[in-house]
Amino acid sequence: MLQNRKKRLQKFFIIILLSALGTSLVLFSLNSKLDLFYSPSEMLAADIKPGYRIKLGGMVEIGSIQREGTTIFFVVTDFEAKVPVSFEGVAPDLFKENSGVVALGYYSDGLFVAEQIFAKHDENYMPPELARQEPK
Amino acid sequence: MIGEIAHFLALASALGLILVLIFNAFFYSAGRHANQDILSYKLFHQSCLLIFISFGLYIYLAITDDFSISYIANHSNSQLPIFYKITSIWSAHEGSMFLWIVFLTLWSTLFINSLSFQHQLKKGTMLMLTIIILGFLLFLLITSNPFERILPFGVLEGADINPVLQDPALAIHPPLLYLGYVGFVISFSFITAYLFHGDIHYPWEKDIKNWSLIAWIFLTVGITLGSWWAYYELGWGGYWFWDPVENVALMPWLAATAFMHSLFASSKSNILKTWTLFLGILIFALSLFGAFIVRSGIIDSVHSFANDPQRGLYLLGFSGFITLISLGIFAYRLPNMQSSKLIVTGSKESFLSMNNILMLTAIFSIFLGVTYPLILEFINGDKVSIGPPYYNTIFAPLILLTSIFIMISLEALWQRGMQARTLLVAVTPTFVISSLILYFIWYFVQIFSFLAYIGIYSGLLIIISYLLKGAISLKNKTYINKGSFIAHLGLGLLFFAVSMNSILSYQKNINLFLGEQQFINNSISEFKFLDLQNIKASNHDVVSAEIFIVHDGQPIFLNPEKRKYFARGQITSETAIHASILKDTYLTIGDQLDDGSWTFSLQINYFIKWIWLSSALMVIGILMTIFKKKIS
Repeated sequence: MLQNRKKRLQKFFIIILLSALGTSLVLFSLNSKLDLFYSPSEMLAADIKPGYRIKLGGMVEIGSIQREGTTIFFVVTDFEAKVPVSFEGVAPDLFKENSGVVALGYYSDGLFVAEQIFAKHDENYMPPELARQEPK
Repeated sequence: MIGEIAHFLALASALGLILVLIFNAFFYSAGRHANQDILSYKLFHQSCLLIFISFGLYIYLAITDDFSISYIANHSNSQLPIFYKITSIWSAHEGSMFLWIVFLTLWSTLFINSLSFQHQLKKGTMLMLTIIILGFLLFLLITSNPFERILPFGVLEGADINPVLQDPALAIHPPLLYLGYVGFVISFSFITAYLFHGDIHYPWEKDIKNWSLIAWIFLTVGITLGSWWAYYELGWGGYWFWDPVENVALMPWLAATAFMHSLFASSKSNILKTWTLFLGILIFALSLFGAFIVRSGIIDSVHSFANDPQRGLYLLGFSGFITLISLGIFAYRLPNMQSSKLIVTGSKESFLSMNNILMLTAIFSIFLGVTYPLILEFINGDKVSIGPPYYNTIFAPLILLTSIFIMISLEALWQRGMQARTLLVAVTPTFVISSLILYFIWYFVQIFSFLAYIGIYSGLLIIISYLLKGAISLKNKTYINKGSFIAHLGLGLLFFAVSMNSILSYQKNINLFLGEQQFINNSISEFKFLDLQNIKASNHDVVSAEIFIVHDGQPIFLNPEKRKYFARGQITSETAIHASILKDTYLTIGDQLDDGSWTFSLQINYFIKWIWLSSALMVIGILMTIFKKKIS
């Protein structure tokens, strides 16, 4: 009887240990693969290290879109701070001036180099992050 | 007028379902009472019928452009073809919720009808289904009424469906996906009724096996169609983005796949019984969680509908309520449910249950990925998103382990433990052949990615082991389960194709004037901008470019388009795709620069077709399983 219980306890601890190990591995992998979301003013305040991938969200400033070859330059603003962004490639269809945009990429030396840009799926939809920072 | 009738019918149906519940609350007893039961079944079926009629009338309203109905005015347009007028019904929250309920009702009424009157679980299942339908019907009518009128006067013209959604694949993707999602309401309710009833020796598996397989097929086809649509319509060249809404569809799929497997084991030999019951409950709970994520707007996603906390709260509350009922009864019965037979180490079912655990791990990891941003934002206000790298890292080891277990279980026997040594010897050829092929792939491709190679190797292990097994059984004329054979080949092919796609595919951005040409690389020796045309279509303007490409010596003409829709002023890109067996030449047109030149994005995507094929193989495999069961 006692032997039986001991075995059970052992099993129980092994299961607990394994799931703790699994969960911590998953969480570890999560933490290194997170993309933090910033608005331009938050990002400038936060002192981002080069080589640290983040998401930058805001509005495309009016008159700021410039195209050179296959590279697009534009400025993301939250009506407080501005960040110049460059993107190599074809922008999504809904990418336009004075419209919400989220850029995924790296910030260094005053330029945000975007790997990907996301524009809104439909024109009435606004990401909650952007809706919150929209001026009243 | 017809709008009011449809609204009234939906209300009447809710009333009917309430009556079923009240009636049974007074007269319920576990025994069978002919007259009372006949009455409540009749009432149940009639209430379901009212919902169908109501939806039929709603389709009629959409076809006849009744823009005094607020929802139709916001999502349809008189210029649309009839097909899209109908599909516009499920292009946003209210209408798609209505469709969801219609399917819920359809599955329920068909299933209850299929059970004989004497069936001991018929009444319990019907009551559970009644509660679920009623809960969602009230949700629809109270928080998201699709029948709402614009008073006093309707508008003359509708606001149009989102052009991105004007596509045959997307039009049928939601209905199929919903049919899959809600199809598991049957296993959920039946299992709840079975546990409530308490006769643990009843062989419940046989009654819901085929229903679950059919729901699985709908879910698989629905997910594949959505992925296919994203690939050719969104113009990003991707087919899966690990978007929260894709994830909440993948979780029930994984649970359903695990359920299917342990259902076979459970019905065959009385093992894994509690597992199977738990999984059966879990699938629908995850479907409900998905509905909550999509419809509450709590997570930012390209798919999510408009933000409404009231809806989210109701859905969370109701989903939680019925899941708790089910899990509560499950926990209550658990002590009596000990499987009569223990799992033998080294037997087929031992590997099968290992894979079940792996699939649960996958579900848990996705669940964490979906909810972690919410938790983190709640705790310290950080806004984060979790992208493909997380999922790729998590899935690579899971896929490898799964493949190894699949390979070994193919050699193992039901309920008979086998020596580790015998099994190892049996799978050695597969290991050797797969490793050789992997080496050849590396030799020819000369690109290395650790995660992708794990995926390729996993795919190879499954494919090779099944092919070897198939060849041996063909030679010795021994039995092989053909459905399982084809479905698992599909799975192996999926792992293989997805991983190959991820290392081989590439993108080039090109900037050209009309009439100019460019050398891209050794494989694409010529890229020429031949022509640009402006065309007027019924509800949009088109800018269509003509591009000539020489790809591996083969001449290809491609016509990517940009469309501007009149009703919303929205611009969409139409990708031009040339598909060959191994790769797709995938071209989208970008913007015109100030100097008059145009940008293009050219992608070479490998093994895309094989991904769709793998999904088709899995569906065919399951279809064969259903068909085989019917004959014998």
